Amino acid sequence: MELRVVDRTDNELRIEIAGENHTFMNVLKGSLLRTDGVAAATYDVNPEQSGGQTEPILSINTEAGVRPLDALEEAARGVSDQMGSLGAEIEAAFAAEP
Amino acid sequence: MTYKCSRCKRDVQLDEYGGVRCPYCGHRVLLKERAPDVKEVDVV
Amino acid sequence: MTDQFDVSFVTREERSARLLIRGLTPATANGVRRAMIADVPTFSIDTVRFVENSSVMFDEMVGLRLGLVPLTTPLEDYEVGDTVTLALQKTGPGVAYSGDLETADDRVQPADDDIPIIELKEGQRLEFEADAVLDTGKEHAKHQGGVAVGYRHLQRVRVVGDRQEFDDPEPQIVRGVIETEDGDVVHTDEFDNDLRNRYPGKEVAVEDVPGAFVFHVESDGSLSVEELFVRAVDSLRDRADELAEAVAI
Repeated sequence: MELRVVDRTDNELRIEIAGENHTFMNVLKGSLLRTDGVAAATYDVNPEQSGGQTEPILSINTEAGVRPLDALEEAARGVSDQMGSLGAEIEAAFAAEP
Repeated sequence: MTYKCSRCKRDVQLDEYGGVRCPYCGHRVLLKERAPDVKEVDVV
Repeated sequence: MTDQFDVSFVTREERSARLLIRGLTPATANGVRRAMIADVPTFSIDTVRFVENSSVMFDEMVGLRLGLVPLTTPLEDYEVGDTVTLALQKTGPGVAYSGDLETADDRVQPADDDIPIIELKEGQRLEFEADAVLDTGKEHAKHQGGVAVGYRHLQRVRVVGDRQEFDDPEPQIVRGVIETEDGDVVHTDEFDNDLRNRYPGKEVAVEDVPGAFVFHVESDGSLSVEELFVRAVDSLRDRADELAEAVAI
């Protein structure tokens, strides 16, 4: 996973997350949209039209006073926590079933 | 080049002068054998 | 985020399972599904060195068939890119089966022993050495551990009244898993997918249960269903961790 900031202001961030696809980006976007202070979030796995660029670009708009990078970190930690507890629940379910 | 005569089934060595003909039985149909070396194939 | 997950089984077989998970967003459900298909690595034959092949098939054709043989994968001891060597020697007449493959590591062996590779006639012989490599379904479909992975919404069925005596006797087909008013979770196969069989003479309403997904996962035998699930979830978590770390700097 290689990160490259494309565009950045106080409340806006466009960042390229190389090596990822819908599998992770959509989960991350879902998590961002449920993060406090995030006004808008989307990603684009640029099709060929944009000059052969195919790595996904994540766009985040935040409300005043919230840094987009902080929101991104919080959302990523949210995904991690969520996946941690989901994994534990699945393991428990399999352990309970002979 | 190793070939096999299709009639007498013997191994035949061909050179550039002898023409295509089995030196043992004179048959003119020779079969090319698979090379004996190991062939590596990538599974795609 | 205060997500409470609830995981329970609907059906469970050796190589497949139906798992009801509550508390998922559609995005996560799809992420887990995609990760199970494309991001959980399994072993698969990738290079074959033919010593002898006098069978009726070309080396490449035999190689392709070998690549599709599922191999059991001990993920705890191998990393993506690692290889294990397998070999086969067989002289006709007879069929060369996947079970005839000999392996350098007993834990990496064909998941099924009865997959025919090729039928050898009298005098034909197949002898080769092959390298199986650990990789993901993203790289090549032969590395997919899950062969039929999908999900449906859990559907809630409510009785809203009695069916009129002369009402149109149209079938009411539902597929997947339903939740009854008593809280029972029933697969629609049990009543032939027609709600009229389950609720004779009743008028029923069907709606999706938000956040409840029924996953149907079938493994090709290289990994257990549990391993497939857990590894898929872990791969998503690892990526989230990596991103959080990278952003924090």
